[in-house]
Amino acid sequence: MRRFELVTPGSVDDCLSALKGRGVEVKVLAGGTDLIAQLKVGMLKVAAVVDLSGVAELRVLEGDARRGFRIGAAVTARTLERDAKLRAALPSLSESGALVGSIQIRNLATLGGNICNAAPSADMAPPLLALDAEAVIAGAGGRRRVPMASFFKGVRQTVLGPDELLVEFAVPATGPKSGGAYLRHTPRRELDIAVVGVASQVSLADGVCTKVRIALAAVAPVPVRATAAEQALEGQPLTSQAIARAADLAVEAARPISDQRGSAEFRRHLVRILTRRTLTIALERATA
Amino acid sequence: MSTVMKTTRDVKGVGLSIPRPDGPEKVTGKVQYVADIQPKGLLHAQLLRSPHAHARIKRIDTSRAKELAGVRAVLTAADMPYLKKKAPTRAHAVLAIDRVVFAGQPVAAVAADELAIAEEALDLIDVEYEVLAAAVDPLESMKPGAPPVAEAGTEADTSEAQAHGSVSGVAAVAKPAKAVNISQQTTLARGDVAKGLAESDVVIEKTYRVPMVHQGYLEPHAVLAQWDTTGQLTLWASTQGSFNTRSEVADVLEIAENRIKVIPVECGGGFGGKIRALCEPVTAELARVTGRPVRYVMTRREELVAGMPAPQVIIKLKTGVQRDGTLMALDGEIIIESGAFSGAVLAVGAVFLASLYKWPAFEVRGFEVLTHKPSIAAYRAPVAPHTIYAIDSHMDQIADAIGQDPVAFRLRHVEREGEPMANNQPWASNAAYEVLERLAQHPSWKKRDEWKKSAPAGRLRGTGLSLGGWLGGLQPTSATVRLNPDGSLSVLTGQVDIAGTNIALAQIAATAYGVDIDRVKITTGDTDVAPMTGLSAGSKTVYTVGTAVLQAAQDARRQTLEIAAKELEAAVQDLEIEDGKVVVRGVPDKGVTIASIGKKGNLYMSKVPPVLGVANPAFTQQAPAFAGQLARIELDPDTGEVTLHEFVVAQDVGKAINPLACEGQMQGGAVQSLGIALTEGLMYDDKGRLMNPSLLDYRKLTAADLPNIECIIVEKPSPAGPFGARGVGEPPIVPAPAAIANAIEDAAGVRLTELPMTPERIALAIAAR
Repeated sequence: MRRFELVTPGSVDDCLSALKGRGVEVKVLAGGTDLIAQLKVGMLKVAAVVDLSGVAELRVLEGDARRGFRIGAAVTARTLERDAKLRAALPSLSESGALVGSIQIRNLATLGGNICNAAPSADMAPPLLALDAEAVIAGAGGRRRVPMASFFKGVRQTVLGPDELLVEFAVPATGPKSGGAYLRHTPRRELDIAVVGVASQVSLADGVCTKVRIALAAVAPVPVRATAAEQALEGQPLTSQAIARAADLAVEAARPISDQRGSAEFRRHLVRILTRRTLTIALERATA
Repeated sequence: MSTVMKTTRDVKGVGLSIPRPDGPEKVTGKVQYVADIQPKGLLHAQLLRSPHAHARIKRIDTSRAKELAGVRAVLTAADMPYLKKKAPTRAHAVLAIDRVVFAGQPVAAVAADELAIAEEALDLIDVEYEVLAAAVDPLESMKPGAPPVAEAGTEADTSEAQAHGSVSGVAAVAKPAKAVNISQQTTLARGDVAKGLAESDVVIEKTYRVPMVHQGYLEPHAVLAQWDTTGQLTLWASTQGSFNTRSEVADVLEIAENRIKVIPVECGGGFGGKIRALCEPVTAELARVTGRPVRYVMTRREELVAGMPAPQVIIKLKTGVQRDGTLMALDGEIIIESGAFSGAVLAVGAVFLASLYKWPAFEVRGFEVLTHKPSIAAYRAPVAPHTIYAIDSHMDQIADAIGQDPVAFRLRHVEREGEPMANNQPWASNAAYEVLERLAQHPSWKKRDEWKKSAPAGRLRGTGLSLGGWLGGLQPTSATVRLNPDGSLSVLTGQVDIAGTNIALAQIAATAYGVDIDRVKITTGDTDVAPMTGLSAGSKTVYTVGTAVLQAAQDARRQTLEIAAKELEAAVQDLEIEDGKVVVRGVPDKGVTIASIGKKGNLYMSKVPPVLGVANPAFTQQAPAFAGQLARIELDPDTGEVTLHEFVVAQDVGKAINPLACEGQMQGGAVQSLGIALTEGLMYDDKGRLMNPSLLDYRKLTAADLPNIECIIVEKPSPAGPFGARGVGEPPIVPAPAAIANAIEDAAGVRLTELPMTPERIALAIAAR
């Protein structure tokens, strides 16, 4: 690993000053489970690294199913996995945290880091998309909110400007009869990366689906919503036939490539399987 | 030994389960590896590696790198005029001379004050390449007109086969004209194959493919080199054989072997990948030109890109049987992709393919093919997992086709002691039959129908087994056993302990001499002080070094008894060692302590010679060892995910010197075997570049993927091994791929003929069914 300057700010404002005017030569360390690996193999070369571990406000975690949640960018995967309130109210996001890496990695890896790394396979992105979450971004001119559905611009590209910092996520209330789930496929049980990941969030009223979100990882340059599948389900009772049809429609939202982790054919196959399974679990949780 | 004197008393030695004393140190990170050694003035080395699989080097300019502050040396092949253009091995191909032959081949070397500076210097070396067409697929590479890999006239390297001492009596065949990348070729044949196939009722033909896999030792290759003022080179090495490392480095650097001292530092795993020299010569050269100690530690990425993996093997197999199960004929072709340098063990595959079972007629053609990829090395039972994957997948399919029980079918045909192997050597004593029989008695095999029927909704369940093994390596070796003045024993060998073998050696010494194991210390000496010792490879450490230690301990015992006989005025035959004393049998109060004998061997003006047992045996008799493995799996047919519910290893170890250590080997080998079966494989693009150069995408199994692995130790004593022991290390890596393939077919009715059997391959095969 090359030499770099390590900056350790204590507040969001200090972070913004450290980033100001330095463009791509400075990178933010929010756990480091992606960044350090990328620096080690020379994929990234930077002059400075801004370590967020000393910024307490980035670890905010508050809210409930009624009010929605504020989740700081530096909240760890392990916290997503283990926080009882979050696990009960936002099971899909909690599951996405629980699936990442190993326990050691989950103790370091953060929600903001997973999102800003902007890998197509990021596990925490589909749940945030399916929950209609917004990213809260701090910059010189104050704070702005960006819906997660428009946060990603491409592989490893986001709407974040060079002088900006992702601060937290605002997750709206899910409502009383709502349920969500996240599943992914990996060849290995742990320490792996999604070949395909699918999050579904379902809300019910009077036996019909009032709102549904289906979001897919690792099947396009950015995490995507399967909107045609969503539309086919809204206003319908969630029968197994309806779910199977939605799973077929979800495949059409996928634009997968073939790479060392899986062929496009297998990824399309998995979108169908995992959409069906996450919708079924989400339905069970919404009815429970 | 002319007199074999056996102790009549039970000593705490052979047969006891003793945990490794170095275990706690290792798991708490206290053991010092090469990367932990910090001599004063240490420099750090880095290698610039070719991004191209095949290219001509038109120009290298190192001037900018040399100007970087903290850089002490930058070397290219031009600085090492003794390098041979027709490099016979990877060790000789220290730096590419004017052509690179695989992506990742070193072209320049840097030594600098800090690792980060050395890395920065790599960016400042300007190399101009003319990219050439690369031979990537072995089937294409073996055709005439493929881009040549080796320089014309380079000899095939068969030293690996000799090191393993595995198969003799195989004639090389002249290679066909213009197929420049076929570096070795053999044919083993017996009987009339065409007639046998023509008279068969059931002919099955399949092609099996196993990709290159990496040995996956935890500690990457590492070496520290330092020259002293008199021109002596010291290497602190992570090696499976310090004498072998010394020979190879001496050969490359063209210096006398006794000017090199190799200190075998604790080795964090080798599995065959640390037999041959790799980064030692270039590190030694950097140390020479800088006059400073230089350390080089490969990164994991470098290990995967430019280590020495196991070969890709393609086996085309055609068999014919009669409806009653009579074997008729086998026709096979084994293509071993050796990467950029020759070195494959060609004949082992043919022996297992054609003579694990009694084929009356067979022909097996073996080819070693060069490609523009990193050259290969041994990996725990080289080519045996590949071959057994083919033949034991085939045996299940044949049994199924003729409606016979797969175990009964194998038991009927498995070759027994004295029957000829494919190379016409007789099979030595082994327990292939007994191991298979033991596995067939296992409740999980007997209840396989119940298991299959018990699958929950949406899941499939199946059971499979396979039999595999290793012929057992041989190599001359030596050991000394010294009696100390306090009656303790010091055993000295050059044996690198990569498997807990030092405890087994201590157990052997204790039992053979007649003291408890806590009185025995085993030392692994460096190449200046240790007696010549062979490689830790080929499942032969306990078998050969154990024999040397046994004989040296017997020699020390004889000397001790002879000294005692004079003192006690008794005949040697009437003496016994009991509780640290030499006593006259039947006269328990008449004795002399072994401590006093040891003391007199180091007493001023004493006339009693020091006790020094010495043995330096060479060997002729191999001891094949077999393992059978049984897998009980559950399968998700939609995602192709396999869950291992049970895994059983039954293995003949001859005699379990240390049963706990045997089980450790059986479980560890099984895990590697399962990795080869399910997840592992180096993946190359069409330009010969590795697509998965990290442990994220090169998937070793983790504890989360594995069930408890049940071990059944079978003991059929070998005729020549110490206390009847056989090699233990290699057999358990062999059977799992076929066992899993057979379990998958049992569960889902699909036959997978390419490894790894990933969820994708399984799910798509089921979807296409």
